[in-house]
Amino acid sequence: MKSILLIDDDTEFTEVASHIIEFLGHMVSVADTVEDAKQWLDTNEFDHLLIDFMLPDGSGLHVYEYLQQKPRMPKVTFITGNPKIKSAISHIAGPSVNYLMKPIEREDLESVLSPKKANKTPRAASSKQTAQVSSTCAHFDCLVGESDAMQHLYTMIKRVAASNANVMLMGESGVGKELVAEAIHNASETQGDLIATNCGGLSKELIGSELFGHEKGAFTGAVAQKKGVFERAQQGTLFLDEVTEMPIDMQPNLLRVLETKRVNRVGGTQEIPINCRVISATNKTLDQIATEHILREDIYFRLAVFPIEIPPLRARKTDIALLANKFLADLNQEHDQHYQLSAAQIERLNQHDWPGNVRELRHTLHRSFIMSQPGAKTLELPSSFASPFSQKQKASNVIGAGSTIEQVEKALIYATLDEVDGNKTSAAEMLGISTKTLYNRLHAYGEDI
Amino acid sequence: MTDLNKRIHDIRKPLNSISMQAELIKMMTDSSESNENLNAAADKIILNAKRCSEMLQTLFEDVAIDAEKGQVNKPLE
Repeated sequence: MKSILLIDDDTEFTEVASHIIEFLGHMVSVADTVEDAKQWLDTNEFDHLLIDFMLPDGSGLHVYEYLQQKPRMPKVTFITGNPKIKSAISHIAGPSVNYLMKPIEREDLESVLSPKKANKTPRAASSKQTAQVSSTCAHFDCLVGESDAMQHLYTMIKRVAASNANVMLMGESGVGKELVAEAIHNASETQGDLIATNCGGLSKELIGSELFGHEKGAFTGAVAQKKGVFERAQQGTLFLDEVTEMPIDMQPNLLRVLETKRVNRVGGTQEIPINCRVISATNKTLDQIATEHILREDIYFRLAVFPIEIPPLRARKTDIALLANKFLADLNQEHDQHYQLSAAQIERLNQHDWPGNVRELRHTLHRSFIMSQPGAKTLELPSSFASPFSQKQKASNVIGAGSTIEQVEKALIYATLDEVDGNKTSAAEMLGISTKTLYNRLHAYGEDI
Repeated sequence: MTDLNKRIHDIRKPLNSISMQAELIKMMTDSSESNENLNAAADKIILNAKRCSEMLQTLFEDVAIDAEKGQVNKPLE
């Protein structure tokens, strides 16, 4: 069961569309203006927004812009009666944004709201759908990559999908944690939906209501009963993004639900049994989780029954060409262009360290696509891929004039130790010094050896 | 948007409604929905079909008047 916000000022359309969406098993709320939509978004989390392009007080793009300020971006489908909408949303195209043409049929809605179910239904695989929902068809319908690191990831996904174990996804920002959660959900034999929520984006006041739901009148503003994400993910998968951002004093409530598999709505007295796999995600390392006290130990062991580390893009450079060509092919298809990447351009992409990972690569391709000459064959890549993050990373390693020999030596020793995961014998070999000398240096830096 | 474009856009609205109400009826039939709800959806289809027909007739007459004034090509009979 997904939570849908339908934004359209045509009441006849919203009435019938709401009926159809409810028949498909989802909850739907309706807004008829940009302002109304903003109010809904301030007080509720939605899994999917269906937005009419033309609204009385603005455009659907105004709602989209507002959405980007939110910590978690739900999927967005623009609804229009005009095929020219494609060009209007060209600059925001991506895996989370697509569009539907009116009149909307049942298969259209199934295809965007529950692609997993729609794929199982033969009638949903019409050419119209395939063209409208440009999905990345690869491993588990969503993951692209053939590197050893990704093959290892696919093996883990297959194994964990066959169980009902809770999974914790770890990895840097932009590696595609939500896509891996989707892959596990797709590979699982579940009947329910994949419901996602961002624990970092919820205020202390709202987090209980979002996770566990509330009864009518439970607090000021609780004008109707609301199901929480655990209930909505019944028989399916609940994805808790940025779980380490959850306030520590709210974590005992989460622990109780994980232990008892029962949920109590805020203001409710009845315990409701829940049955869903919980996939959580964090961009913190195990060391940070252990030392910074951001996640209770008991919750960690409940959530990380099966921890999965998602490799950064720099650790699977052989996938860069594959991903770049895939993103470009999607953009070409969407906008009827025929750009290609030359071997030299692929080599340039391979040389970059991509600190923002796959997300940064996709945005770079998209930016280049917009900047390229329409009708040309070759994509125009920017002269530099530098981002504030890559500059920051490089800056921390650069030793400028004025540094002492001791400072340079110390930086080199620590950088080498990082490279070999702290193995002092390997580090000494790489540095061309004896292990004893390395220990002496570390001792001099005040290290407790 | 020209007047003709706007009117075509307006005609699409009842057509969309007809299509979606028919879709709803199919779903209601599958789930044994009450006759009352099925009738309400069917009534909306009839209402929108009439609305669409009237809009097309008005459009046809306006185009015919414009054609007589020599502003546009004569509509096909």
